[in-house]
Amino acid sequence: MPFRWSRVRYPLAVVLCATTAFVALTLRPWLDQANIVMLFLLAVFLIALRLGRGPAVLAAFLSVAFFDVFFVPPHLSFSVADAQYLVTFVVMLSVGLITTHLTARLAERQEAAQARESETRMLYGLARDLGSALTVDQVAEIVGRFLGSMGMSAALYIDCSAGGQADFLVHGMLDEGAMACASDAYRRNAPVTDDPRAAGMMFLPFSGATRVRGVLAVGQGRAERLPLLDTAASLAGIAIERLHYAEVASRSELDAESEKLRSSLLSSISHDLRTPLTSLVGLADALAERGTSLPDDSGETAAIIRDQAHAMHRMVSNLLEMARLQSGRVMLNRQWQPIEEIVGSSVRLLDESLATRRLAIDLPTDLPLVSFDAVLMERVLCNLLENAVKYSAPDAEIFLSAQVVDAALVVTVCNAGAGFPPGRIDRVFDLFARGQHEPAIPGTGIGLAVCRAIIAAHGGTITAENRPGQACVRFSLPLGTPPDVSAELT
Amino acid sequence: MTEPPRIVVVEDEPQIRRFVSDALRKEGALPQGVGAARQGLDAVVTHEPQLVVLDLGLPDMSGLEFIRSLRTWSRVPVLILSARTAEQDKIEALDAGADDYLTKPFGVGELLARVRVLLRRHAADTDATPVRRFGDIEVDLARHSARRGAEDLHLTQIEYRLLAVLLAGAGKVLTHRHLMREVWGPGHAGQEHYLRIYVRRLRQKLEADPARPRHLLTETGVGYRFQF
Repeated sequence: MPFRWSRVRYPLAVVLCATTAFVALTLRPWLDQANIVMLFLLAVFLIALRLGRGPAVLAAFLSVAFFDVFFVPPHLSFSVADAQYLVTFVVMLSVGLITTHLTARLAERQEAAQARESETRMLYGLARDLGSALTVDQVAEIVGRFLGSMGMSAALYIDCSAGGQADFLVHGMLDEGAMACASDAYRRNAPVTDDPRAAGMMFLPFSGATRVRGVLAVGQGRAERLPLLDTAASLAGIAIERLHYAEVASRSELDAESEKLRSSLLSSISHDLRTPLTSLVGLADALAERGTSLPDDSGETAAIIRDQAHAMHRMVSNLLEMARLQSGRVMLNRQWQPIEEIVGSSVRLLDESLATRRLAIDLPTDLPLVSFDAVLMERVLCNLLENAVKYSAPDAEIFLSAQVVDAALVVTVCNAGAGFPPGRIDRVFDLFARGQHEPAIPGTGIGLAVCRAIIAAHGGTITAENRPGQACVRFSLPLGTPPDVSAELT
Repeated sequence: MTEPPRIVVVEDEPQIRRFVSDALRKEGALPQGVGAARQGLDAVVTHEPQLVVLDLGLPDMSGLEFIRSLRTWSRVPVLILSARTAEQDKIEALDAGADDYLTKPFGVGELLARVRVLLRRHAADTDATPVRRFGDIEVDLARHSARRGAEDLHLTQIEYRLLAVLLAGAGKVLTHRHLMREVWGPGHAGQEHYLRIYVRRLRQKLEADPARPRHLLTETGVGYRFQF
């Protein structure tokens, strides 16, 4: 190979030419001069093939000289008797040089192809190693090893920003100037080389499929290696992005798992609490229904047990609803619907407690459709109406109204009475906040907290206020753009 | 009805099964309580009941599977007992062929009222008179007309069709999907707001107080119920 032989290439060429001349001299009695020329050309060709361009050129000239001196009369002299030999010299030299040129070019191409092949093999190895990397540390180590095998050093400057917070991780050694260059390369998404702040270093940004992921900083890098380094940087980028998305996927899987666990836990608690309550309500109700056939006031007692069990059930329902709402991701089953559907069903659900009360409902007939979760909104209205019943005198009137104000549907539930205690009016929606200090009225103070959580999940607001002679709670739901229903559905 | 109605109660909680059975017995029915779905299906075969009361949360088979299996060979009315939060389960059970549901916890009065309606529906399946009356409204199904007293109520074609479907299913819970399909035909999933608009119009024409309807009731998150 030309490289290994580099120091002895020229002497070797001389020796080979001399040997050829010697062989030709010994064979001269049997050989034509034309064939002797052929021997020299063969020698030049072999030298070009094995020793490269320079020695071959030297050999071409030496061959002509040896031929002239030893084989062309007069012998042992450069002078030529027959001018025809000049043509032989010119042709010999030309053929030698052209052969040299062609063979050398062939050899160079082969060498380049071999270099490319080994580069590809190295990159393939890098890609394979990066493909099996499980952490960013491993990626940095693999890239470092790869560049190290070519006499370069590597450091990775990786973007691991999350939630709008810029954050960069550095694997390897980067001084202040190098950090600045890396940051530049990252921001501009363009390579930085020959920067005075970090002499002799190259900074190559790399991106995944979605965005720039970081910068590969190369020490002792050579400019002709830039394409290779660029490819290596891209491979590192892809590997880092893959790790990023693998992490995102496993995190969201974990979230979904814990969400599923939470909701199945809630529903089993809900079932376990509701089952005995259902028995209690049913059995007490059956007793109370028997009415007059029971001794003394047992019927009344049974009715009280039933009502208390009902109250307990409402409390449990609110608690479970609160737990569900507070657990984070509540899936709202939003549908476009008129609010009066919920008003009607809430009033019917509370039939018993509202039976003895005067309830005034004021709903315009042309209220727009609003998008909300009917089951949750029913709970809001039930809680508000229950509160209105609970915190007012038995003969106090209850008002329920709805109207459109600006871009929202505003629903107001009021009861005649003393109203919320002043000064604590903002806190009635807090969990376990109660209107009054004395526990004369049953309840946990969870009802309004649940209302606020549900309304907030719908993007609305809820407020409490005292009006003259009335306590009111009003909530608003954003109107949005209801679907067009002017066309008949056929 | 000359003989007492037979009712199968499928409920895995013995206490609930007991008070439901007691209440039905006092009402003059013959309840047969079982604690599992397979026994329930067997009981329906052997007792040929007029009504099945079914808890949705059974240990050996989902209530939904029970109804699907039952509906392949029987038209007996099914009253579901279920928890408040499980709207989707109720909808699936109703779409699979259940007739009504009762939310736990429930009182004896509520239970008996639903049972009576379903038994009456079952007996009145052969009702041949075309006139239905509720409140001060009279609907003549043969002549496609509705009147309040002497005043003719002008119902559009769709309003009338919706009313007719509701009347045909009176006493049952009719899911949004069922009503959409019956009134507008298949292929209108996700357009339930049309149904809600038409229910609102019907209420405004038929109900004395549309905000507190007495006949066309909302079953929140599930559908509607018409009661006479």
